Amino acid sequence: MYSKLIKNDIRKSKLITLAVTAFILIAAMLTALAATLAVNLFGAVDNMLQVSKSVDFVQMHTGDVDMEQLRSFVSSQPSVEDFQVLPFLNIDGAEIVIGDGSLSDIAQDNGFSVQSAKFDFLLDLNNELIQPKDGEVYFPIYYMQEGAAKLGDKVVINGVEFTMAGFLRDSMMNAALTSSKRFLVSEAGLEKIRGYGQMEQLIEFRLKDGVAPSEFEAAYIGAGLPANGPPAITRMQIALMNGITDGIMIGVLALIVILVIIVAFLCIRFTLLAKIEEDYKEIGVLKAIGMRVGEIKKLYLAKYGAIGSIACALGFLLSMPLAEPFMQNIRLYMGESDRQLAALLCGLAGAAVIFGVVVLYVNGVLRRFKKISAAQAVRFGAPQEKSKSARSFRFSGIRLFSRNIFLGIKDILARKKLYVTMLTVFIISSFIMIVPQNIYNTISDKSFVTYMGMGMCDANLYIKPTQSQDVIPKANEAAGILANDADVAKYAMITTKMFDMKADDGSTRKLRISLGDHSAYPIAYSQGTAPTTESQIAISSLYADDLAKTIGDEIVLSAGGAEKRLTVCGICSDITSGGRTAQAIFDIEPGDILSVGIPVSFRAGVDANAAIARYKGQFPFAQVYGIEENIDQMFGSVIDAMKLASYAAIGIAALLTILVTALFMKMLVTKDRYSIAILKTLGFKCADIRKQYLTRSIVVLVLGVILGTVLANTLGEYVGVAILSAFGASSFNFVVNPLFAYIVSPLLIAVCVYIATMRGVSDITPLKISEHIKEA
Amino acid sequence: MNKIITGKNVVKTYGEANVLNGVNAEIAKGEFVAVMGPSGSGKSTLLFALSGMDDVSDGSVMFCDTELSSLKEHELADVRRAKMGFIFQQPTMLKNLNILDNILLPAMNAGKKDTAKLLQKAKALMKKTGIDGLENRDITEVSGGQLQRAGICRALMNEPEILFADEPTGALNSKSAEEIMDLLANLNEEGTAILLVTHDAKVAARADRILFTKDGNFVFELSLQRSSGMDMEARVEKVLAQMAAVGI
Repeated sequence: MYSKLIKNDIRKSKLITLAVTAFILIAAMLTALAATLAVNLFGAVDNMLQVSKSVDFVQMHTGDVDMEQLRSFVSSQPSVEDFQVLPFLNIDGAEIVIGDGSLSDIAQDNGFSVQSAKFDFLLDLNNELIQPKDGEVYFPIYYMQEGAAKLGDKVVINGVEFTMAGFLRDSMMNAALTSSKRFLVSEAGLEKIRGYGQMEQLIEFRLKDGVAPSEFEAAYIGAGLPANGPPAITRMQIALMNGITDGIMIGVLALIVILVIIVAFLCIRFTLLAKIEEDYKEIGVLKAIGMRVGEIKKLYLAKYGAIGSIACALGFLLSMPLAEPFMQNIRLYMGESDRQLAALLCGLAGAAVIFGVVVLYVNGVLRRFKKISAAQAVRFGAPQEKSKSARSFRFSGIRLFSRNIFLGIKDILARKKLYVTMLTVFIISSFIMIVPQNIYNTISDKSFVTYMGMGMCDANLYIKPTQSQDVIPKANEAAGILANDADVAKYAMITTKMFDMKADDGSTRKLRISLGDHSAYPIAYSQGTAPTTESQIAISSLYADDLAKTIGDEIVLSAGGAEKRLTVCGICSDITSGGRTAQAIFDIEPGDILSVGIPVSFRAGVDANAAIARYKGQFPFAQVYGIEENIDQMFGSVIDAMKLASYAAIGIAALLTILVTALFMKMLVTKDRYSIAILKTLGFKCADIRKQYLTRSIVVLVLGVILGTVLANTLGEYVGVAILSAFGASSFNFVVNPLFAYIVSPLLIAVCVYIATMRGVSDITPLKISEHIKEA
Repeated sequence: MNKIITGKNVVKTYGEANVLNGVNAEIAKGEFVAVMGPSGSGKSTLLFALSGMDDVSDGSVMFCDTELSSLKEHELADVRRAKMGFIFQQPTMLKNLNILDNILLPAMNAGKKDTAKLLQKAKALMKKTGIDGLENRDITEVSGGQLQRAGICRALMNEPEILFADEPTGALNSKSAEEIMDLLANLNEEGTAILLVTHDAKVAARADRILFTKDGNFVFELSLQRSSGMDMEARVEKVLAQMAAVGI
């Protein structure tokens, strides 16, 4: 009997059944996809870290390393499983010549290394250990996507020729967001180029299970071991950096899943309530003849159970081929996941969860059967919604609107609950359309650098010890030239150094501090301000979390043998250097300089690209980047992914709006066919009736778009922060493109609503009075 | 005699079934015609066909000099709005509007702007039909009889030339039915033509002419001109006798 009922019901409402099936299918498909991708991503990251025997703790150091001191430290540390020191020969990008070009325009610190003997292996694209022959060089996978080199290319470093033999996966420096990249050559190859760059050492440790890296770091620094490079990196950070780009993609997918599920449930609720209303008398009759509520519920549950199971099964099956393009990036960077079966099962479980939730939800909606009185239902049918506002909105009192607009608005006021579904969908559509666009606008905007620890400038000059031994004199030389350059409006010198900091527990930690006039190029502070006196310090939000410091707290540095007490005056959003940076303005004391940055602003009308090209020739000892170029290289892949996601979101929102509006209008016309027949007998033309439905759509649309736009620009910012906080940006303001957010997006939704409404109400014309007027 | 409705060889089929089999019918301006017949004989179908509410499978229906099937949807809507009124067995009201707004609806649809005048007219009709004071009531807050009267008020708002009534008293008690029929008779006396479908001999006896239908066609026509001087009882008896003769 159930199958007969289901078939009849589906035959009578094909479009509605199709739409509900489509929504459940999409929800199941996206859930399965997100679950599969998440498990595969974790599996691939984990697999790569295992195969490459990734490090648990690594400290970079420029200069010699006392191996005896290191061995003695290790022998005193039972937590150390193994250790090694690997060379990392910094070569300026301009010195790496590939054919006619070089890597000069790529803002990465390029280092040449040899294959490790113990752990931290560099792998080929089959996740096998690479053993380069003499004369061969392997490029980081990052350059494959940048298209910088291909197999067989001649690579020349100061006259030493190599052949590009392949790409490598590097568990530590794989991600585009990691600013250093490792090239692999043979021992002999490294010897040949040793003199053309600055040698850094990677002091690497593998720790025993369960050892906290922070405790080990404290012991390492406490022992006074070499550590003049950036703060140490731990296994957790390595895993995070490897997974972050794809993780964000999965995060966005999860967000869309949640919204699609909400829409799917709204549609189910709407169609179900409409069906119950239609069947109200029959339900009353079934109750009157003694059928139990549970049995009546089964009739409805059977239909949604059938639709749900088919849609979820199809959704799961479709998620498998759909996962492929998403998996390509994961495979390329990290190789195959070792949890493919688990991923598949999780995908299946995701789709099954959607099925379960659909059935539970339908069961919940059907709970109202209990409240239906058999007598009332048989005599009067479904009760009308009571509305005070609708009562006072009368023809006789309102002369502002034409009859069709009046009837349209009156219907919304009288059946508010019905229109909440449509309103919610419009709010969600506006949200989906605007938020990814705003995130894209924000991260691709020039001002986003203020969250990257840089002020708003046109160009940046970096002078690092790897490029020039005498950093400060060279920086002063560059500053002198800039001071006399007519193109330059302003510039500043920011010197970044490593300091030892005394933690509250007495241990010592490394703190990366940028020193200089931070007021010239202010960055974004989520709390407080930039340092203005020598006793102040601003720290990045990740540092604030790490150190458990907030505004007004004290930070004690050991500088030049003395203690320097600084008060935290600001917490900034900085996503550079792993999000762990600080700013202060006290005088530079002798010590290890990491870099000197010189942000430059040009006067109005100056051709920035020409000036940057000139500086590249003028300052061979510096890395010179246009700010847009800098953003592009650092966040290019994220910006591209967000751009794609934002366009996909526009498509999804438009599709969602069209589908739901058409479905809603179609159902409304079916539900209202009796009223439409009455209007026709009274001489209302089909065009008049369509106008009434269009009025309903437009009024709900205007409300939905206003609410959606407001929410997108307020609540949406929190969503954006949640996504970008992974980079260390704890707070930021959306860069809103007013043309898109306030004109294009509402217009696009309005066009979709218009088209869908006209399509949805197309049944008004063929509706025959004689067939429906008798239904009363 | 000026014809307001002329149906020639009207055929209406639903699938294989012929509901109307080449019906010829004429209704004069100001005339009161009743249609009687057993269930399924095509009475309501005829009413819908002659009023243009339903299209015909064959034949033609003229409203005055206009062939209804030649009209476009919006032209037909104009005729319905300006020249015709409809009353059904169940009161056909919009649930979202109160009684007064339901009555005002056809006038608003006709684009009449003078709200004060329209209100005055609606209230006068409500008074005439005995439902004054119910203006702001919801349609769920009044009785079936009151709702039917409101339906009549609505049908009269645009002063139609003809009123189509499909079992207008079918859902009412006898007292209410009599009051409604008094009302319709008065309207007819004022010049509004009426085509009414009924099972009830008492209701049909109010008409000038009764058309008896069977198997989709007229089988007999009974003339009950009011000028004949017959009292109501005699008219009803005549109708009942004819019903028995026809086999209804």
